[in-house]
Amino acid sequence: MTMINLKESFKESNFRDVGAHIWEHASAVERKIMAVSFIGLAALLPFMGFGLLDTPVSDYGAVLVYPVGMFILMALGLNIVVGKSGLLDLGYVAFFAIGAYTMAILGTRTSLNTWEIMPIGIALAMLAGLILGLPALRLRGDYLAIVTLGFGEIVRISALNTREIGGPNGIANIPVPPSIGPLEFSLNDQKGFFWVVLLMILLTIWMIRRLSVRRAGRAWEAIRQDEDVAELMGVNTLKYKLWSFSLGAAVGGAAGVLYGSKTLFIAPEMFTLNVSILILACVVFGGMGNIWGVMVGAAILAYLPERIRFISDARLLVFGLALVITMNFRPDGILPRKKREKVIVKKEKNNG
Amino acid sequence: MAKVLLELKDATIKFGGVTALNNVNLKVHEGEILALIGPNGAGKTTVFNVITGVYQLTSGDIIFDEKSIKGIKRYNITKIGIARTFQNIRLFGDMTALENVITGTDVHKKSGLLGGLFGLPRARREENAGRQKAREILEFIGIDEYSDRLARNLPYGVQRRLEIARAMGTGPRLILLDEPAAGFNPAEKVELAKTIKKIRDAGYTVLLIEHDMSLIMGISDRVAVLDFGQKIADAVPSVIQNDPRVIEAYLGVPADAS
Repeated sequence: MTMINLKESFKESNFRDVGAHIWEHASAVERKIMAVSFIGLAALLPFMGFGLLDTPVSDYGAVLVYPVGMFILMALGLNIVVGKSGLLDLGYVAFFAIGAYTMAILGTRTSLNTWEIMPIGIALAMLAGLILGLPALRLRGDYLAIVTLGFGEIVRISALNTREIGGPNGIANIPVPPSIGPLEFSLNDQKGFFWVVLLMILLTIWMIRRLSVRRAGRAWEAIRQDEDVAELMGVNTLKYKLWSFSLGAAVGGAAGVLYGSKTLFIAPEMFTLNVSILILACVVFGGMGNIWGVMVGAAILAYLPERIRFISDARLLVFGLALVITMNFRPDGILPRKKREKVIVKKEKNNG
Repeated sequence: MAKVLLELKDATIKFGGVTALNNVNLKVHEGEILALIGPNGAGKTTVFNVITGVYQLTSGDIIFDEKSIKGIKRYNITKIGIARTFQNIRLFGDMTALENVITGTDVHKKSGLLGGLFGLPRARREENAGRQKAREILEFIGIDEYSDRLARNLPYGVQRRLEIARAMGTGPRLILLDEPAAGFNPAEKVELAKTIKKIRDAGYTVLLIEHDMSLIMGISDRVAVLDFGQKIADAVPSVIQNDPRVIEAYLGVPADAS
């Protein structure tokens, strides 16, 4: 087993490369150990609500689920669209809303439980992604952004004006998920919700990592970098943009279903443009296109306002200031997109 | 004479009042290197854009392998066997050289997104085959030592060659090279000429836009000359060199020649 040379790793210029360096020089066993311990640590987070990590004013366990876990999940979903394929989507909240409303409507009016509604919510969000994407994805750049922004608003305003689904009053008494074995889901102890979010995050990471090194990932990458050339190299750009859009929507929808089942009550005002922008901020702040960056970004942007809630009114100011300062020093995000080359060249030297 | 692989029939394209191509007839025979020359603005790159579906013909027809490909979707052009490079290099800069070529090989894969996601056997097989093929092409072009470097960090000459490699990745029968030697020094041009010949000898048909006369005269089987959107000559290099119309339009009057 090769020793991981930490000193060597930290010679890399940024944390992203340090991580990549450690990972690429690790053996299969070491990688497994790292992955398992990382997941284990994440799973234990609900028990670490003391000292520095605690959120003095908000309930720490609840903060972990929403906003932290949910934001990470949604940022990963939006990252497929914005970071991987370069499609600026300002209406991502729409898919979240569709998931939440699916849960609310089916949960209060049928005997279906959260786990049975989950695939329906995901399917409906994907369908919405297709319906929006089919006309909108013929547009590029700013024009696409405007159309998606409009879509987000259409979904919210439709919910606001449809009396059958509560209109401005929303829907109350949404059931929590039924327990899985000994694991119970209640608002007083949100560990169950957190572990489900964690599982969904892991599934999303698996999906992105898998696709990134395959045909679909290359197609997205090609589209992001030069759509015209991608098309002339044989990439069916509309098809892959639609895939990107609907996979992103699926993740948003899944997050929405769980959110609906967790909050007991939803209303249109929870799904404003602000949410879309905040999720986008997570992606940009963390590092577009990089899974780890996006997660770190989302975790910070979701957690920080809760952590400093005790300074009440000033907290958004401090938060905004921190955002501006960070983006000034790291314009590509905290952990920018891979700089794979360096790592691989070094590796060859070591082998040789 | 070898079979005609690509044929432009009375190809005309107008942009508003400007006629960029005017009744151009052009035949590319299987297995030859055909050079397309002409002064700036003569319509050479327009010919490429018409063939690859970037522009639609106003009138006329394009026949590839005995079938009309007029109006075909752009992303299907590589699938039927035509690939191109770009005058201004347009690689996928954030991908490695190898990934650029693999992206080319993706065209003929049958497995889609779900196959890749769940690691189905066919997807895996195709992925490995594509990677293998891409490596072979990089070696063939002579830039395999740069396989794992990001395209945008490569030296200029390597980038130009990588453009050719990416086009070859799509497994074309016809390769369109748009000024592959632009910005090259004489030694690099000689090297490139060898590569282009090697590509032809490997069974590809090459349609080439180039300004460097010695390069063209050295490797082309035939030369077609465009001027103001019209084809004014089409012959073997030695005839072109002595065609008075070509000399007037392009090579300059003899007194100016070196």
